[in-house]
Amino acid sequence: MSSLPLLSLILWFPLVGILSILFTPRNRENLIKTIALVTAIVDFLFSLCLLLNFDFQNSGFQFVEKSEWLSIINSSYYLGVDGVSILFIPLSTLVTVLCVLISWDSITEKVKEFYLALLFTNIAMIGVFVSLDLLLFYIFWEALLIPMYLIIGIWGGPRRIYSTIKFFLYTFFGSIFMLVAIIYIFLQYGTFEYTALLGKNYPTHIERFLFLAFLIAFAVKVPMWPVHTWLPDAHTEAPTAGSVILAGILIKLGGYGMIRFLLPLFPNATLYFANLILILSVIAIIYAGLACLWQSDLKRLIAYSSVSHMGFITLGIFSLNPIGLKGAILQMINHGIVTGALFMCVGVIYDRTHSRAISHYGGLATTFPFYAGLFMIFTLASIGLPGTNGFVGEFLILQGVFLRDKLFSALGATGVIIGACYMLWLYQRVFFEKPSPNVFNLPPLKWNELIALLPMVILVFLIGLYPSLLLDFMKGSVFMILNHFMNIGGS
Amino acid sequence: MVGLNLNVGAFFLELILLVTGLFFFLVDRFISRKSYAFWICLLLCIFSGFIILFIPFGEFTKAFRNDFYSATLKFLLIFGFFFVVILAKEYLVTFRALEYGEFYGLLIFSLFGSFIMLSSQDFLTLFLGLELTSIPIYFLIATNFLYQRRSIEGAIKYFIVGALGSLFFILALGIFYYLSGSLYFDIILTKVAQGDRREEFLAGIVFLLVGFSIKLSLVPFHMWAPDAYEASPVPVTAYLAGFIKFAVLSALIKVLIIAFSPIKDDVGQLLLWVALLSILVGSVLAIIQENLIRLLAYSSIAHMGYALLGLVSGEYVGYGFSIFYGFVYLFMTLGLFSVIIYLYRYNRNILEISNLAGLAKELPLFSFMALIFLFSLAGIPPTAGFMAKFYVFVVLIKGGFLISAVLGLLFSVIGAYPYLRILKVIYMDRPSVSFNRGAFSFLTYLALYISAFLVILLGIYPQPAIEFIQRTLYLYLTFQFLHF
Repeated sequence: MSSLPLLSLILWFPLVGILSILFTPRNRENLIKTIALVTAIVDFLFSLCLLLNFDFQNSGFQFVEKSEWLSIINSSYYLGVDGVSILFIPLSTLVTVLCVLISWDSITEKVKEFYLALLFTNIAMIGVFVSLDLLLFYIFWEALLIPMYLIIGIWGGPRRIYSTIKFFLYTFFGSIFMLVAIIYIFLQYGTFEYTALLGKNYPTHIERFLFLAFLIAFAVKVPMWPVHTWLPDAHTEAPTAGSVILAGILIKLGGYGMIRFLLPLFPNATLYFANLILILSVIAIIYAGLACLWQSDLKRLIAYSSVSHMGFITLGIFSLNPIGLKGAILQMINHGIVTGALFMCVGVIYDRTHSRAISHYGGLATTFPFYAGLFMIFTLASIGLPGTNGFVGEFLILQGVFLRDKLFSALGATGVIIGACYMLWLYQRVFFEKPSPNVFNLPPLKWNELIALLPMVILVFLIGLYPSLLLDFMKGSVFMILNHFMNIGGS
Repeated sequence: MVGLNLNVGAFFLELILLVTGLFFFLVDRFISRKSYAFWICLLLCIFSGFIILFIPFGEFTKAFRNDFYSATLKFLLIFGFFFVVILAKEYLVTFRALEYGEFYGLLIFSLFGSFIMLSSQDFLTLFLGLELTSIPIYFLIATNFLYQRRSIEGAIKYFIVGALGSLFFILALGIFYYLSGSLYFDIILTKVAQGDRREEFLAGIVFLLVGFSIKLSLVPFHMWAPDAYEASPVPVTAYLAGFIKFAVLSALIKVLIIAFSPIKDDVGQLLLWVALLSILVGSVLAIIQENLIRLLAYSSIAHMGYALLGLVSGEYVGYGFSIFYGFVYLFMTLGLFSVIIYLYRYNRNILEISNLAGLAKELPLFSFMALIFLFSLAGIPPTAGFMAKFYVFVVLIKGGFLISAVLGLLFSVIGAYPYLRILKVIYMDRPSVSFNRGAFSFLTYLALYISAFLVILLGIYPQPAIEFIQRTLYLYLTFQFLHF
């Protein structure tokens, strides 16, 4: 198995699907959907192989592939995963499978383009997680904008065009600074290789500028508090699959980038800016949590809750200790699962009633009980009830931050309470109270919706009850990142 | 003159072009089936692309020399010209009143001019080449009068501004002659290298750059571009936007290398503001355009700004990247224009952007192609537009122009919006009118596919192309400055 270039296989396999779909006549929609589904499932199985072959003793990069690419600027096709990134790969492929399933009936026009864009998204997402060459990373990072622009803009809601252009320009703007920083680093050290750039020292102010340049790109993607405004719009207007990709993977790229690049490459600047980012994170947690309370739109509420949860994640990352960092990575996976599932749930009723307004619903628990049960599970996971995966992540993060600074931990913990407020209140308004006339005679869950939601339920409890299943993966690498950090930055 | 030893071999390619061009003007009256001209043109392209590999290097006269640089650039230009000819044919099938042999003849004369320009060894030949490149285009724009009354305005505007450019150019020539007593590049180079009259030479270069800026439509000499573009027949617009820009850019680079290499850093400083302003103005004004061609005119202003950024740091590597940018831009433009020509043939009002609404539903293939080219123009990976920008910015930051690079990249965020808007109309708006569909010849599909393929290929793996250009430049420099 070791001889097989597994990462390249996972990365480029969707290309097979893309090419087959390109040559399929556009009126054979079922065939197109089937091709997309099969491609996504096979890719998911490959990524499971990756998990099974992971070496837990090795805290460095595994499955490394390296070959010449642009030798004139010393950039190579350099792939590899470690404990930080490996979990995101099955998550990405799983999300793609679910997106294909959830869009099965809800996407009715330009079907061919939709699945092409979806598979292209898959390539770009995995590419971001596996590339160890800064230029390659940047290319995948930016390439992701193309399909997302189309997915939100073509198949989205009424204000989709405003949202998608806002999303595009926001993230494009953020990435520009990262590009400058990448070029600058290249000109300093003559390489784009991530591993070769570890442990390099920069003059203090230059390191800070580089840190900020990367931070802008990641902060927009996460999104952190002052630059979060694109997310509610994009989430709200995106089709279900788009929201699931956004919540599941896309905004994780920011957090992943922080762990992968900010901490190890610029340790001194990280120490310098850590408190600032902690403050911004706490603001995001509380502000976005309060903002959730006055949302009248289901998707918008969940979008703001994403901002709040991502605040927890940046809080965990910049607690700069192993517990907080592990919690942050775990919480990214959890948030991908739970929020992704919540968006799918909203998609399920949106497809039936074509309304996202909370006031449009009420009493769904009596007319649609099974669905109400599923929604309950994800709501509780989102709040972080013990036994669900949300609890483990938030607990670790808060514990990590507590070790660093008790005040931030306390402030962050208020976010959990606010989270409980808005989620439970949402649940009450939508599922209990007097049944609204709009919620009678809803068709039952379809096979594709069931298949898409059940794995999420399983994962919620599996991770919630046995978190070391995932924590074991990241143990070594988290120490590597922080160890490295302490060696250089431990002043 | 006694003992004039002409090396006709070095001039062979140009000779063929000249003869073919003249042939069209002489014989066209007597041939009623006008499509003959297209096939001759196409054959000419293939033939000259082939024999250019065998043309000996060397001087025809002292003023005309075929060397590594010119041969490579001529090859790339023929490659582009091949597509322009195909586009012209596609267009003329519908707009029959323009279908004369002279249409192709004028294009060939323009190509001839650009070849002279690239091979020139003195400023006068360069000037003649530059004029010969654009004068046939004035005619071609004016011929569109049959379909569009405004085309006279565009042609005259372009002509007058072009004449103004020539004026500045000649002024620069005068200054150079005064300073060095010659117009030959090598003599000027030795004078420049002595270094005692640097400021005077720079003053001359300013005038020279004004002349070039007018041809490249750089800010503040850009105002003719939108009108001229709008007035031209669409393939001529493509020629004007992609081909001529690329040819003039290569000529400018050649002049900077062989005449002014000792002071190229200072020239770079002069170009920096022109380039940044072009990017800014082109990007911002493109936002408010309602006409597709005018939008592309402003976008070409911005793109020439990016291409010039490669020259700012005054490094030869940067010159190579500028050429790469020009080449990539040539193919992005030609690809996009082949889509536009297809649409325009059957829908005359398609040039208003709002009329493109819902195109993706009716013509998915062409919309998809447009998507590739538009994202490439916006500079989003994995397309060639990104790679071209990336390399230019690497050189720029390497030269220490960090702030300018940040500005240039920020402007590229503004510049992305117009393309996103076109895509929005194509993919996301509801169809307002239904589109007429018609046949599209095999060759045009070929042009479309090849340019799309190139745009993707150069975006994913630009290494061979860049190496090719850099190696040409390196060999050229080695031979050029061997005696120094």
